[in-house]
Amino acid sequence: MSTSGAAVSVATRARRRGSKTFGTAERHWLLWPPLIFFALLLVVPLVALFQQALTGQGNTFSEAVHMDVFAKAVERTLILAAVVTVVTVILGACYALAIAVGPVWIKVTLMAGLLISLWTSVMVRTFGWMLMELPTGALFWALDKLQLRSEPLNLYQTTPGMYPAMVAVMLPFAVLPVMAALSSLDGEQVDAATIFGAGPLLVLRAVVLPALRPALVSAGVLVFVMALGFYVTPLLLGGPSNMTLSGVINAQLNNANRADVGAAMSIILIGGTVVIYLIADRLFKVSERWG
Amino acid sequence: MARTAPPPLTRGVGWTRLPILLAGLAACVLLFIVPFLVVVATSWTRTSFVAFPPQGFSLSWYRDVLHDPEWTDSFKVSLRVSAIATLIAVVFGTLGALALSRLRSRAARSWLRTLFIIPMAIPPVAYAVGMYSVNLKVSAFQEHLTLLVLGEALLAVPYVFVVVSTGLSQADPALRPAAATLGAPWPMIVLLVDLPLILPQILVGAVFAFAVIFDEVVLSVFLAPIGVKTLPLQMLNASQEALSPQLTAASTLISLLVMVLLGLVSLVSGRRAARARAIARKAATA
Repeated sequence: MSTSGAAVSVATRARRRGSKTFGTAERHWLLWPPLIFFALLLVVPLVALFQQALTGQGNTFSEAVHMDVFAKAVERTLILAAVVTVVTVILGACYALAIAVGPVWIKVTLMAGLLISLWTSVMVRTFGWMLMELPTGALFWALDKLQLRSEPLNLYQTTPGMYPAMVAVMLPFAVLPVMAALSSLDGEQVDAATIFGAGPLLVLRAVVLPALRPALVSAGVLVFVMALGFYVTPLLLGGPSNMTLSGVINAQLNNANRADVGAAMSIILIGGTVVIYLIADRLFKVSERWG
Repeated sequence: MARTAPPPLTRGVGWTRLPILLAGLAACVLLFIVPFLVVVATSWTRTSFVAFPPQGFSLSWYRDVLHDPEWTDSFKVSLRVSAIATLIAVVFGTLGALALSRLRSRAARSWLRTLFIIPMAIPPVAYAVGMYSVNLKVSAFQEHLTLLVLGEALLAVPYVFVVVSTGLSQADPALRPAAATLGAPWPMIVLLVDLPLILPQILVGAVFAFAVIFDEVVLSVFLAPIGVKTLPLQMLNASQEALSPQLTAASTLISLLVMVLLGLVSLVSGRRAARARAIARKAATA
């Protein structure tokens, strides 16, 4: 450890001597424009949110927290995000592994599916699930053809109805990092384990899983944070009686005309997701691995 | 990814290969392919409402969408918003990545990286409410799309930043000191050393950013001026009224357009990467 540290510091010093240090003019021109852009577009809306939240009479934060809809929505959103994250990460690992170990026709099919999903908009994919879940939609048609069910489905605009669509929308975000991690998996390690008699389960657990863990964790964090604030899919598939947090905020502004309460809820939501992201980032170095 | 799959892995997973393949295939067919085919299929129905299975076959709904100013106008608005916002995101994302490559302190690098990815972690709804509050305060913004464009640009910056800084980290670290030793001032280094190296990543980042912005609906819900709609907003509104095959026809058209365009892009860039690999091989053997 100490030799590599010394090597790094020698390299840094050499680099420092070779180039001029990051000059002030350079810093001004490269660093400050994006920082100012960020500051303006992140801080100004946040300040406006606080102002908006404070314009209402009384404490809008406690009003928001004590609203029944809000509490229910928080619970629903957290459960949704947690379950969707776990299912998506597991399926994503299987998907990427299947691409890696499958015969050619499976590879081609899976890559085609992945590209379809990456290249069509979230909106269109959500429509697909709407059409599947409608009481006499595609799912009902299939079940009816298989003679499994003859009365219309009761899935559209229910809480369970949101789950498959959310997983479908999030799955590419889990597949891509795992694929990247698998492509740098050391085949000789796998071979060594196999030759020394490790069974498939042991190989998966002791060789493959450790190599994939960083990718799985960062995919999980990404999916969880995105699922917390997801808008379109819960809105269209959950319906007005099963709103997630984003739906409740939307309703405060567009239906109840309480922009102040909506702003208070937005602050709580932003605070929650950013704190989760920052903690995850410090713990697992998500931002270094992402992409 | 067929090339990168190590055969040892296939051997290593043994009997678990079958369940893995089944899970992957089931996820692919049920979650990705079938819903998309359902959208496509319902768009050629002859009925005036969305029906599955489709009744008969006609392309009349496609003609209908292409001649409906509501749909064509929203498409144009989306193109304009996405183009300008992408440009802004590319400029600031690239600047940020260049700054990151020149920072030496580990803490500063890690904070800069965290900062630039934060827009992905912020829920779009909450951010949109904030922008909406700004909109209420400053009446100058209410008439046009400025705030919408700026907000979309912010949401897209992380994608450009991630792609470009990955490209920069793979570049030869000796090039910049060499140029500096030869007396090149820093703007010249940026223009003649860095930018040519990362041009492919900048283009990829731009395509990413454009796709994200073109797809984004939440900001338009809150920030689009009255009477102006982006394409996703038009789709969202249409989906909340009576479901018309117009909606699925428009969805099919836009998806096919994107698939053809992105297919061409990846074909071209794939060919260019192959050529670069061939040149590198030749250089290595020479």
